[in-house]
Amino acid sequence: MPRLLFEIGCEELPAAACMEAALQLPELARQHLGAQTLELYIGPRRLAFPVDLPERTADEWIKGPPENLRDQAAAGFARRHGVSADELTAREGFLGVEVPGRPIAEVLPERLAAVVTGLQFGKSMDWGAGFRFARPVRWLCAKLEEETVEVALEHVPSGGYSYGHRQTYPERVDIPSARIYLETLRSVGVEPDRARRYQAICAGLDALGPWRDPLDKLDEVVYLVESARVQDGTFDERFLRLPERVVVLTMQSHQRYFPLGGNRFAFVANGGDPDVVRAGNEFVLRGRLEDAEFTFERDVEVGIEELANRLASITYLQGAGSFADKTSRLVETVRGLGGDEHAAEAARLAKADQASELVREFPELEGHIGATYATLAGQPDEVATAIDEQYLPDSAGAPIPATRAGRVLAAADKLDHLVTAFGLGHAPTGSRDPYALRRAAIGLNRLAIEGGVRVQRDRLGPAREFVEDRLEGLLDLPVEFVRAARASAVSDLAGIAHLARALHQAEPTEEFASVYEAFDRAHRLAGKRSDAAAVVDESAFEHDTERELYDALRGRTLEPSDFDNALRSAAEISPLVSRFFDDVMVMTDDERVRANRLRLLLDVRDTLGRLGDLSLIPR
Amino acid sequence: MARRTYQEIIIALEQYWARYGCVILTPYHTEVAAGTMNPATLLRSLGPKPWKTGYLEPVIRPLDGRYGENPMRFQHYFQYQVLLKPSPDDVLDLYLASLRAMGLDTDKHDMRFVEDDWEQPTVGAWGLGWEVWADGMEITQFTYFQQVAGLELDLIPAEITYGLDRLAMVIQDKPTVFDVEWAEGITWRDVFQENERQFSHYNFEDADVEMLMRHFEDYEREARRLIDRRLALPAYDQILKANHAFNLLDARGAISVTERAAYIGRVRNLVRADAQVYLELEEARAAAPV
Repeated sequence: MPRLLFEIGCEELPAAACMEAALQLPELARQHLGAQTLELYIGPRRLAFPVDLPERTADEWIKGPPENLRDQAAAGFARRHGVSADELTAREGFLGVEVPGRPIAEVLPERLAAVVTGLQFGKSMDWGAGFRFARPVRWLCAKLEEETVEVALEHVPSGGYSYGHRQTYPERVDIPSARIYLETLRSVGVEPDRARRYQAICAGLDALGPWRDPLDKLDEVVYLVESARVQDGTFDERFLRLPERVVVLTMQSHQRYFPLGGNRFAFVANGGDPDVVRAGNEFVLRGRLEDAEFTFERDVEVGIEELANRLASITYLQGAGSFADKTSRLVETVRGLGGDEHAAEAARLAKADQASELVREFPELEGHIGATYATLAGQPDEVATAIDEQYLPDSAGAPIPATRAGRVLAAADKLDHLVTAFGLGHAPTGSRDPYALRRAAIGLNRLAIEGGVRVQRDRLGPAREFVEDRLEGLLDLPVEFVRAARASAVSDLAGIAHLARALHQAEPTEEFASVYEAFDRAHRLAGKRSDAAAVVDESAFEHDTERELYDALRGRTLEPSDFDNALRSAAEISPLVSRFFDDVMVMTDDERVRANRLRLLLDVRDTLGRLGDLSLIPR
Repeated sequence: MARRTYQEIIIALEQYWARYGCVILTPYHTEVAAGTMNPATLLRSLGPKPWKTGYLEPVIRPLDGRYGENPMRFQHYFQYQVLLKPSPDDVLDLYLASLRAMGLDTDKHDMRFVEDDWEQPTVGAWGLGWEVWADGMEITQFTYFQQVAGLELDLIPAEITYGLDRLAMVIQDKPTVFDVEWAEGITWRDVFQENERQFSHYNFEDADVEMLMRHFEDYEREARRLIDRRLALPAYDQILKANHAFNLLDARGAISVTERAAYIGRVRNLVRADAQVYLELEEARAAAPV
């Protein structure tokens, strides 16, 4: 099979665009070339792949009008495809035309153009070529074995050549054959294979000692170079006095350096004289660290108490006052959630770092910087740790705070955020969630369930339904059990989770079955009626069974948090309900008696219903 | 070759783009916060007429002043702005050659084009491009405009904004901008440090807030009036002046976070309305008999 090599030459692509292209190219090749890509070579200036093609494209049968419309439509269809109506063939009730395959080289110009224009990027641009791409496409190289294929894409030159490394070999380079693409590019300073570059960078970093990459920059850096050269550098040891995360963030977030420990760092260069490049990068890092140091020292000079005082002038959410208002609410909520003195003190200072310059510079350090400043101000570890932990859990897999004070503060923060945002009408819509309310709701649930923070459901106010909805995805249970538990008398968030689990566990037992049946029968018969009496009237009883059931219900309050006992207690009602249905005709003609019996059944439903709306559980 | 002075670097860059065929302009005559704001870029990006220009622009950003104490941050610094509309296919090669023309040895430094999506909400503009790095230092902002003044563009321009102070530092191998040799025996510090000190004082402490508020309103009103009278170019000057008044108020801390967004919105609305009139006038001119 003839080998094709196709290269899309670009101006420097963002890493994200490289990743998008890598995901789409195999499918585009399959779709337009009818073959599997053998490899993918993805880098900032070229997206390339080799593929083995059939000699000819496959024969095709193009579907036309239904057979029964032959008289009306066949002639037109045939004409459009350049055949006579007699030549149409029928398949499964439709007319169609046989199109024999063509030599692959004939179709490649259009097919390759379709591969290029078929790539879709999250962010794409116009540069006047008539199609969009992540960055301008500047050349196309297509070789079918030794033959050059001209790609049919206007405004982009196409031929049998590529370009070398931008700095070391900026000239054109001929690609003599599809089979020696890699060798040719390597000879002009380019490593087209992402995996090779990745290995080279890792090996280079390993050679410099233990390295770290907490912000996952390596995945990006591998797409920023065509010829990776790992180098190291140092910075003045005085910067080690800064909080470590500030130093690491300064290195990683913008410069994409890798901390090597102490005052050493590694970086990945693409070209240049190693000594000049090292000196330049050290200089840049020094400037950035000086900025961070300057900012840090100014904050420390101000001190956390004064920073906290400045919160009145910083808006928290439009319409919900300042961070000072938020702080007062937090302190109160922390106390309401059972927080101790440390938790309350942490709440008082929790948002102080929003007024700091360092957090303005590095928003991702919020909490951590506040904790650092609290420690410097002599606050005990418990307070500082709680401040540090207040934003946990900040993602699906993230841990919850390790300390009790941290958990209470974190829960209070999320609770306040949710109630406030919902109160202002900022409920998320579709995929839009600018206030990160989903994350807050999931976090709050986890703090309640895993962290043991007792969050009363009525505290959730307008956010209650949204927060409880999140339990359905969070708990590894069929959603019906969660929904049933939400309809129970449970008063706190974690209680819903415990009850849902208990219901799920009890579901196969006979006890559950009997309670379920009693609830279900009472609910089905009486649940939708509007003619039940307001309260049971003992004088309207006609049967002992009625009284028996009434007595059994009276004073029986099922406590869902004590599930086993509650279920046992509920199960005591079940036989009485069965007997009631056996002995008593509920829908009697006597209005007063009927109303009374319906009321009795509603009392059954409400008594058992403290364990949840069992009717939601499929059986 | 002897090491080039700052002024020689600027002259070399200007000559490079002049030889390429750019219309070489002078800095705009009122304060702008970026070379982009100069009408030679902002307004000329609009419409179907090709345009190539290059000019030096002192950018005025009151909030960035540091009293002449921080050797890397200033409220007044220099950009060299090039706009090529439409962008030629070899624009990146042209750019790298311009660096060599300035005296930067692009073989010695690690030259990188790092993704940077540019957006300037005040003028309703955005584009895709890069910040260009030399050994990790940002020396240029390179952008393919996609929208300006909220309008789609007939021709996509490439905007090259050179950070001249930093480039001079790299070319001369100086530790700070202060130390850049402006002319022989004269440093950047000699020429501008006192300027930074005085203006930082003015911007942060002395600018008359009430007067600036009044000015903002006046400039805004005048801009509206001129837009209504279809005098797009004089109106644009008023918008620039209003924007500078806003930037000063911002530096004075006289504008809260919420008000800030509102001010930016007011300027953006003016720019949009003005750009619309500018375009209509351009189209009318193009249609008129010679």
